[in-house]
Amino acid sequence: MIETALTYFFAVAAVVGGVLMLVARHPMRAALALVCSMLSLAGVYAMLGVHVIAVFQVLIYVGAVMIFMVYTIMLLDVRDPSFTRRWSGLLVPGVLGAGALSAIIAWVLRDAGDSPAAASTDVFGVQPFSVTFLEEYWLYFELSSVLLVAAVIAAIAALRAGGGRDG
Amino acid sequence: MGALTLIVLLPLLGFLLNGLLGSRLGRTFVNVVGCGLPLVAFIVAALAVRDLAAAGYPTVIETVYTWAAFGDRSFEIAFLLDRLSAVMVLIVTGVGTLIHVYSTGYMKGDPGYARYFAYLNLFLFFMLLLVLGRSLLVLFVGWEGVGLASYLLIGFWFSDPEKSAAGKKAFITNRVGDAGFLLGMFLLWQALGTLDMDAINAAFGAGPVPGLSAALVGILLFIGATGKSAQIPLHVWLPDAMAGPTPVSALIHAATMVTAGVYLVARLSGVYLVAPEASAVVATIGVLTAFFAATIAVVQTDIKKVLAYSTVSQLGFMFLALGVGAYGAAVFHLYTHAFFKACLFLGAGSVIHALGGEQDIRRMGGLARRIPVTFATFAVSTAAIAGLPPLAGFFSKDEILWYALASESGGSVLLFGLAAFTALLTAFYMFRLLWRVFMGASRMSHEVEHHVHESPPSMAGVLVVLAVLSAVGGFFSIPHFLEPLLPLPAIVPAMEHFHVPLLVLSVALGLSGLALAAWLYAGDASRAAQLEARFAGLHRLLTGKYYVDELYEAVLGRPLEWLSRRVFLGLGDRRLLDGTLHGLAGLARRAAGGFARIQTGSLQAYLLLGLAGLVLLLTWSLRNG
Amino acid sequence: MADPQFLLAAAAVLFALGLLGVIVRRNALVMLMSMELMLNGVNLSLVTFASQAGSAEAAVLVFLVFVVAAAEIAIAIPIVLALARRRGTLDAGSWTELKG
Repeated sequence: MIETALTYFFAVAAVVGGVLMLVARHPMRAALALVCSMLSLAGVYAMLGVHVIAVFQVLIYVGAVMIFMVYTIMLLDVRDPSFTRRWSGLLVPGVLGAGALSAIIAWVLRDAGDSPAAASTDVFGVQPFSVTFLEEYWLYFELSSVLLVAAVIAAIAALRAGGGRDG
Repeated sequence: MGALTLIVLLPLLGFLLNGLLGSRLGRTFVNVVGCGLPLVAFIVAALAVRDLAAAGYPTVIETVYTWAAFGDRSFEIAFLLDRLSAVMVLIVTGVGTLIHVYSTGYMKGDPGYARYFAYLNLFLFFMLLLVLGRSLLVLFVGWEGVGLASYLLIGFWFSDPEKSAAGKKAFITNRVGDAGFLLGMFLLWQALGTLDMDAINAAFGAGPVPGLSAALVGILLFIGATGKSAQIPLHVWLPDAMAGPTPVSALIHAATMVTAGVYLVARLSGVYLVAPEASAVVATIGVLTAFFAATIAVVQTDIKKVLAYSTVSQLGFMFLALGVGAYGAAVFHLYTHAFFKACLFLGAGSVIHALGGEQDIRRMGGLARRIPVTFATFAVSTAAIAGLPPLAGFFSKDEILWYALASESGGSVLLFGLAAFTALLTAFYMFRLLWRVFMGASRMSHEVEHHVHESPPSMAGVLVVLAVLSAVGGFFSIPHFLEPLLPLPAIVPAMEHFHVPLLVLSVALGLSGLALAAWLYAGDASRAAQLEARFAGLHRLLTGKYYVDELYEAVLGRPLEWLSRRVFLGLGDRRLLDGTLHGLAGLARRAAGGFARIQTGSLQAYLLLGLAGLVLLLTWSLRNG
Repeated sequence: MADPQFLLAAAAVLFALGLLGVIVRRNALVMLMSMELMLNGVNLSLVTFASQAGSAEAAVLVFLVFVVAAAEIAIAIPIVLALARRRGTLDAGSWTELKG
């Protein structure tokens, strides 16, 4: 029972974090709000019993991606006009569109029937998950490492191309 | 592979070898291939005819390939050898080989030497296809093919616009005739379900064919023949075709290709036998062509033009014979004409060669002693065409005159009278030519006269061979030979005793033509000049060739040009096609201009559009899901 | 056990918020963060389905999304930095070279 309540709590917290990120004026605040949202999601995953993903969520997103983001923000000039002027010219249509999208999805979900009982979460333990991963999905694992190598090279190339000249 | 197929394919091989390799491998190679393969074809043909003779002249049919089959009907590529095609194939390969040999001398040094022989071999291939084909369709392929070869060879010196225009004129004029030919073939196919000519003859011989008028078919096919054989009203291309090299004029535009129409009518004699109306048309057109062309030839001053109109006139004689049912006589004249006209043209070529390109007979004269071999052969063949006994032309022309008068299927005094007068004209203009070129005082410029020389042995030898054939060819009686296949018409009984007087008359006509020419053009030809001055109007009409070209230009050329320029180009092309395209292009440009406004370059605007699309898509799928 | 429909709704809202962020925010870095939020929304729906079905497949997919997100950010940030250095601003609205 307490698990269910916590799940709802974390889910709501994730959404609130998202909203805060959206409205925060300074990018640093936006980043912190996003970190909160991601941690809340990790909590949701943990409550659902998918511990492996919860751990990776914290490690990869919060630990790597967002830290990288925060460093970048600190590198940049805080007097940049984009820091002070929050909205692009598309605020109203954007809000209307996103509202419509949410409304449609909500309408779909309202129509759906009762969901079936959750299945066992045994497969999400670290050991069973790892065994499944490396036995059945090893090819995707390897391909993702290829992708990462490509990303590293691309990042170097982008830095060189961008750093050489000033427009 | 049968002998007939081999005969046809040998020149094709020559065409491929000379066309693809000739310019690289040099003159000797071209000579050997260009003259050798036609010679082999002639030998094979002679052997095939010997076998045919040994077997008592059956109709040999050699099927090569089924071209197309639909239901129980089919088109087959098949060759047919009987008495008629035997005569034709021997003429084509024999005269063809001689003219190939002649060409080695005449075309010596021409930059297009290999191309010339390739075309000549190509012509021979199509001509053999034409005379050996069993089906009208195969004949038609050959028919079109010789037209193509003729076009290529008339415009052989294509850098001269006048010459390439002459090639186009020949090709286009022939198209008019081909339309009739095609329509005739369609009718035959629809009614009989076959285009095999032996089957067509048999079908018409067996009685009236339901749903098919023999007269209509006959006239349509004859329209095709008028195109290829230069009969009125499609004769205009042949004189212009003299733009080609002279051996080409001899082979294609005198001896072989232009006689294809005669061959066609003779081959389909079964149709014309049951269509007296069509035969009457053939005879009338033939005799009119013979007469008018002869009158034009009287005043021409270009040596090749005289011979060209003479060819048209002689072809008219052949059609006259066909029209009165004397198919054998027509083929006989075709056969003798092939010899003496080839000899005349080649002799003319030799004269032109000797004078370094001069073709105007007003600037010739007195050549008899300077180029004796050419003169002797030219004189023999002139006498032959004029119908002096015992040369070849005498026999064949006499046959034609006789049947024009006495044939029970269409002979009449009117036809005979016109034909006889034409025979007189023929003798006159040919001897005029002989006199102006070889007799009298020289009218050449000093420089030209200095360079006059007899032709090389390759040319002179051929002239001698052809002159001998022109002299003795008449003793082989083609009508008699062909009689089992092409029976001669019955003679009107009342006319029977006129045969001998007619022979005498015929000789008298030839001699009086000779005498008239000698008298008029004796000395400095002052009598001819006086005559010309007195009948100036008539002379203008004749030198203007009855203004047929001008008439066609005014009646057909100008309106067509107006139509093309105003209607098709101005309205159709510029307005309709260009307008539509420009309109579409403008629409695209304006639409693109409109859409380009969406292309703001702002990532966020694109994403907003994407979001809108997503919303619309989801809404639509929920509505219709 | 939480109602999966609620979690799916939360996932949709996160996705919509992310999309909205990309559209309406001016700052390129915040736009990148919004994209991460969109990915997170998708991940949440995947994990919800995975736990409902008791299947590891969806979880594997989530893992792969992590990899892609990491790669994406590793390339995107140098590009944004390069652009910022060239233009002197992080304002996405000023980058309109591809205007039609």
